[in-house]
Amino acid sequence: MGISRDSRHKRNATGAKRAQYRKKRKFELGRQAANTKLGAKRIHEVRTRGGNRKFRAMRLDAGNFSWGSEAISRKTRVVAVVYNASNNELVRTGTLVKNAIVQIDATPFRQWYESHYATPIGARKGKGAVKTESEEINKSRSNHVQRKIEGRKAEAKVDAALDNQFAAGRLYACISSRPGQSGRCDGYILEGQELAFYIRKLKK
Amino acid sequence: MSEQIEKAFQKQQGIFQNAKVGAKKSVKNNRWYKEVGLGFKTPKEAIEGHYIDKKCPFTGDVSIRGRILTGEIMSTKMKRTIIIRREYLHFISKYNRYEKRHKNLAAHMSPCFIGVQAGDSVTVGQCRPLSKTVRFNVLKVQKKVVKGAKNFAKF
Repeated sequence: MGISRDSRHKRNATGAKRAQYRKKRKFELGRQAANTKLGAKRIHEVRTRGGNRKFRAMRLDAGNFSWGSEAISRKTRVVAVVYNASNNELVRTGTLVKNAIVQIDATPFRQWYESHYATPIGARKGKGAVKTESEEINKSRSNHVQRKIEGRKAEAKVDAALDNQFAAGRLYACISSRPGQSGRCDGYILEGQELAFYIRKLKK
Repeated sequence: MSEQIEKAFQKQQGIFQNAKVGAKKSVKNNRWYKEVGLGFKTPKEAIEGHYIDKKCPFTGDVSIRGRILTGEIMSTKMKRTIIIRREYLHFISKYNRYEKRHKNLAAHMSPCFIGVQAGDSVTVGQCRPLSKTVRFNVLKVQKKVVKGAKNFAKF
């Protein structure tokens, strides 16, 4: 293999070619890229310098995604890779890397929202019959809990762009962990200006 | 805004922009900046501007430590980095005289310094390696004073 991360093979800042005066050293080593794909979880453990470990995720299908403005995180299925700023090839092959934009399953977040605010989210407009509200919204609650929920109603408004995504059952999220290093695919749900930015990129 | 030219969304790492609608303290332009220390004033453009530069010493993730050097700007043709020329005298003991020598230095220049041209004098501080040759970051610019040219000579 022989992937090395040294700078001795590169030319000087002046352009001079550096002569090789020693062999490759182990501390300069590099390893093959993980190229984590979507699929049933498959993680290889790597022994690294100092006896420490890295978890090279070869295939992942779920991750812990956080909804920033509500300050909660839920473990969710990753459905598809949708955009990658570095390389379109990574989108085509569905490779999970840091800062890739993916679509995640919205159901855990919808369930949390409905139990926290007791209001429906992502209601489809234009459908003839209004769907019966879920059991989660209508269940009987104790007086104390009911009052807490009433107190939260004022802040229950969700951005229109997010609401549309909830209606479709898929949220756009950005991966913020490095799956090839930590073995996890964690991230955050896109909101606000970032969401608008990426939606515009996806439309093109 | 106009600073989103790249393919990925440019933002300051670590500051959360998407607080809920109707939140109490909604400061428009939620920008993070820091003082680099050693008596260097952080420019107004860094605090009020909209640029995103992770290598800026005032609004990015680099710390200034080690050497502080000065030099004269030779070229500003690179994107966000400049070449500085530092002149010095080297003593030849045999002849008891000096000779002029110079060294070039690549330094990262934050977008908060606007209107900087070749010939200006600049103070740079050492930081961690930012690229193959860049280990310094511009902290202060002293524009070149052209004697007897209070009016612009260009136009």
